[in-house]
Amino acid sequence: MRLLINLLVAIAIAVIVGLGSAWLVLDRERIFGAMTRGAWTAWPELGSPNADPYSRAELARSGALPLGDGEGIAFVADSDDSGAALTDRCNYVVSGQTPAARLWTLTVTDRAGNLFETPAHRHGFHAREILRREDGSFAIALSGEPQPGNWLPVTGSGPLRLTLRLYDTPLTSSGIGEATLPAITRKACR
Amino acid sequence: MKRLLLYGLGGLLLGGIIHIAAILLVPDFATRDAWTSLGRLGPDGVFHLLPEGDAGTTGLTDLDPAMAHAACRFTLLEGPIRIRAKMPDEFWSLAVFDRRGSNVYSLNDRTAERSDIDLVIATPLQMAKLRENPLPALDRAIIIELPLTRGFLLIRAFVPNPTLAPAAETALRSADCAASLTAPDNGSDPSAAP
Repeated sequence: MRLLINLLVAIAIAVIVGLGSAWLVLDRERIFGAMTRGAWTAWPELGSPNADPYSRAELARSGALPLGDGEGIAFVADSDDSGAALTDRCNYVVSGQTPAARLWTLTVTDRAGNLFETPAHRHGFHAREILRREDGSFAIALSGEPQPGNWLPVTGSGPLRLTLRLYDTPLTSSGIGEATLPAITRKACR
Repeated sequence: MKRLLLYGLGGLLLGGIIHIAAILLVPDFATRDAWTSLGRLGPDGVFHLLPEGDAGTTGLTDLDPAMAHAACRFTLLEGPIRIRAKMPDEFWSLAVFDRRGSNVYSLNDRTAERSDIDLVIATPLQMAKLRENPLPALDRAIIIELPLTRGFLLIRAFVPNPTLAPAAETALRSADCAASLTAPDNGSDPSAAP
């Protein structure tokens, strides 16, 4: 009887620890293979056949369709340059240059990657439509209120996520290395 | 007491094994993975246009709203498949995923060195047969060898502004995921051929 109780306790511990830790790991953000440059993070190995088992499990649970090496690479930012989480209660300016790429797009979504309903159907900017300064750099204003220049309207409720996708870029073969990504500066908050 | 500790330790060890097994088995039992979500769009072997950035309805995430997307589930069990599409003169890229959603091959309009898509996917065995008996129709096609039985393709077509969306969507709608291997490559509209 003692033996049976002990065994049951051991098995209960095993199931709770095993499944609980697996669930906790997968429920968090992708933790392995992250490459960080300032506020931006990319997962170059995500979706590649030699990705680690955790990334594979995460991919299967999310239904994501990551960019392949021949397509490009995506950088995600959930916080500004000071490390504070991006939220719709603040205004931000995304400014600077993007790494070499034939095309890039910048998209604002909620944390789950869902687009907001915006009146003008503007969810982001891309390299061909953006207004640039004379030196080729740009500044995009994220705000709930109309802004001069490149205005990216934000009508969400809560945390925001910025995704910068670089298409046909040498970064996919040479590695992210010392790539310089746009700065994300927080402005006035409500 | 000492014995209970020992059982507790054994439980932890077994828990570690269960953790590893659970992580490795998740892809096999996932119901929200890309393959399953694409299956809900319609039959296999046909390209389906994905609704724009709508993670809630399709379950497919990580899609760029500046792109139009079309996806097609395929099988290589009945022989090699040929994909043909006449693409607009803008950036496009194509990715081949395996059943588990891993990206096994990808290219873009620049690496393809042509503006339309003519791609053949074959298993290593089918590839050997194609090498023995080359088909003249496939002279200019990109032929890739992948050790897959099932998988899916995703074409992303850049839409510079909303007025060009219909052109991109028309091109994606006419994309052929099961084109004839012997149809000649004369640069004509692949949708015109049956």
